[in-house]
Amino acid sequence: MMRLVMPDRALEGLTIIEVGTRGAASYGGKLLADLGADVIKVEPPTGDPDRALGPFPGGEVHREKSGTYLYLNTNKLGVTLDIASEKGRDVLGKLAAKADALIHDYPPAEAEAAGLTYDAIRAANPDIVMTSVTPFGQTGPQKDFKANDLTMQGAGGWLWINGQPGEPEMPPLKAFGRQPSYQGGVNGALATMGALYGRSRGGPGQHIDISIQECIAAILELTLPMWSYLKTPVVRWGQRPIHPIDMFQCKDGAWVFVLCIEEHQWERLVELMETPEWATWEVAADRFVRASNWDALRPFMEEWVSQWNADDLYRAAQDKRIPFAPVSTLGNLLDSDHLKERGFFVEVTHPEAGTLEHAGAPYTLSETPWEIRSPAPTLGQHNAEVFGGRLGLSGAEIEALEAEGVV
Amino acid sequence: MAGPLDGIRVADFTWVWAGPTNTMQLAHMGAEVIRMETSKRICTLRMLPPWPEGKPDPNSSGYFNQYNQGKRAILLDLSKDEGAAIARRIVEMSDVAVENFAAGVINRLGLGYEDLRKVNDDIIMMSMSGYGATGPDKDFISYGPAQVPMSGLSSLTGYKGWGPMHVGMSYGDPTAGLHAAFAVIAALFYRDRTGKGQYIDMSQWESSMAVIGEAFMHQVMNGAPPERDGSHDPRMAPHNVYRCAGEDRWIAIGCGSDEEFGALCGAIGNAALVDDARFATLAERKANEDALDAAIESWTSEQDPFDAMEKLQAAGVAAYPPLVNQEVMESPQLAARDFWVEHEHPQVGVRRHAGIPWHLSETPLSVKRAAPVMGQDNAYVFGELLGMGSGEIAGLVEREVIR
Repeated sequence: MMRLVMPDRALEGLTIIEVGTRGAASYGGKLLADLGADVIKVEPPTGDPDRALGPFPGGEVHREKSGTYLYLNTNKLGVTLDIASEKGRDVLGKLAAKADALIHDYPPAEAEAAGLTYDAIRAANPDIVMTSVTPFGQTGPQKDFKANDLTMQGAGGWLWINGQPGEPEMPPLKAFGRQPSYQGGVNGALATMGALYGRSRGGPGQHIDISIQECIAAILELTLPMWSYLKTPVVRWGQRPIHPIDMFQCKDGAWVFVLCIEEHQWERLVELMETPEWATWEVAADRFVRASNWDALRPFMEEWVSQWNADDLYRAAQDKRIPFAPVSTLGNLLDSDHLKERGFFVEVTHPEAGTLEHAGAPYTLSETPWEIRSPAPTLGQHNAEVFGGRLGLSGAEIEALEAEGVV
Repeated sequence: MAGPLDGIRVADFTWVWAGPTNTMQLAHMGAEVIRMETSKRICTLRMLPPWPEGKPDPNSSGYFNQYNQGKRAILLDLSKDEGAAIARRIVEMSDVAVENFAAGVINRLGLGYEDLRKVNDDIIMMSMSGYGATGPDKDFISYGPAQVPMSGLSSLTGYKGWGPMHVGMSYGDPTAGLHAAFAVIAALFYRDRTGKGQYIDMSQWESSMAVIGEAFMHQVMNGAPPERDGSHDPRMAPHNVYRCAGEDRWIAIGCGSDEEFGALCGAIGNAALVDDARFATLAERKANEDALDAAIESWTSEQDPFDAMEKLQAAGVAAYPPLVNQEVMESPQLAARDFWVEHEHPQVGVRRHAGIPWHLSETPLSVKRAAPVMGQDNAYVFGELLGMGSGEIAGLVEREVIR
């Protein structure tokens, strides 16, 4: 690891190799890159599949304009490499030899077939931290099960609890997007960073085996304790032991999130509602009782909410320190004065995709700000810089690799 | 061999779920996490179920015990000057301080970043709040369940033609907590190289939006969000949750390619589907998705979900039933990987808790102890760490500083 006297960025001087095709490694790599690590993204010669995923401007497929790819790969150097070929493997070993960590998301059988094993990477660099983020981990009877973000929500126990309560004909529902991959990514970055920090204090290089199924099972709120403490099966959006926690449509068509966690918040809500009779009934007496009787109470709340415009109600509640929330559309968020003042959305200019606003920093560090230094790389953009400049391959050697389709 | 954060101490002022999720990750990696609590205002999680036999008790909530594993806990009334002074002494011997009180509270207690720097100039302090420490709405209050609708995730999630949906858990909390722990370790790494601590402003709202980044790209590129479409996927078909035999039994299936669709048709004994022109390509399958789903469900609805999973997985098709909590806890895969933690707890005995999703080859991590009961580590922290005598501690109890 390069030692710097006074780095400007938290992770400056760390070199990370990212070999991913499923989003998890890309997000983990992004978290590290956005805090200043030097992340070299290794893509197959045909490109990361996320380049084909979109969304695309006007729906027109273009490998340099996929929104998923553009978002997940800011601040990275991009190279192409066929790691399944013998020569590609050799180049990957050279990259690993100069790196602090390698993060990938190839499932075990595919990784094995491509030679992307800890034994191989350790042989190139005994001090490296290698992180494998896979659906079920490296061991166990289901390690080779095929998976995607939908089935992983199922395997982790999340899918079961999401969906419309009280509608037995409606199936469990997937949460939008690629949440298991994102969770794998943030866990991957966290564990990698932990091991790198340990190494900087004299600890060893090592392999980190992360199971996305476990990442999901670890965050299910009170779902699992409901079984281990009470032997109670959970139901769709059923982990609401207190009420109100609900969503309603308002007069203007927008929705609002009605929430009281503490009893004193409910008391202020009753004031805001001008103390309707139903709120004084025994069946609404406290947050647990309201939960047991919510089916009966809900229509009253719905009726009251429907007389308001959503934003007015949200702000009226917050004025009384009741934690209501907007049910935001993405347009609302991009227009939010609060987020604007905080500078959350950032403009990123890409040579092919143009200037686009991205979701920005998940945290603000006072000394070492999160920042976008460069947009996502175009396919193979940094081949010469990385293979030539960093690995010292000659122009002829790189050309030969290109001719063989390795690069 | 020691964990990566061995020797790191965390002064933990957090409560509810997001903050404790952050500090639990740090405890998992070996940090000594000291929770400062008071019986004057008990942590929200301690007062939420499940409790064994449904009997409320701040020391036996499963919700609290799941997300506070491996930590220590003391009683300290921070609203008293003497209590805040003791907290500053704990911060003085810590590397990290984390809080998630409502905006402004920590400063009023004399425990803001400037106060803490005076006693520990390279402290890393993190404030975790719903809206962040700046901005016109910074004083608004928020909890994890609200972050799901606030972030836009609700408006993106839902059955086709229905309204926005929650996602069934307070997803904003763990998402913030995990991002927070990563930022803390990055700051520690920086501190060790430069001697500089720093202040980290963590907004749950913002970390919740970071995990739907591609949806914002859709909005920015095309002026509209992706439409709610149940469990369908724009790039995969079939991709849905299908009814199985039995009450409320289902299986999630997703095919990422024509080959996988062919394998699915073979596995469900319906080779005719492959040759059906309506399903020949992804575009055709998307255009005729209702018919496709019906054809697949006519098979799954006769199947036990786990039998269906085995048959489809044997053919190389991604399939898994939505597991109910009992099934997660009895999963052969999770058992084989030694995922569960079962420590003896003085109030609830041995209960199964979710463990650590990262398995480190050279410095294996383990949860050191069950979640603490209130004040469990008073003797260790006040006596051993701060060197107070028993008379001094008794005085603090008498003056209700320790309570």
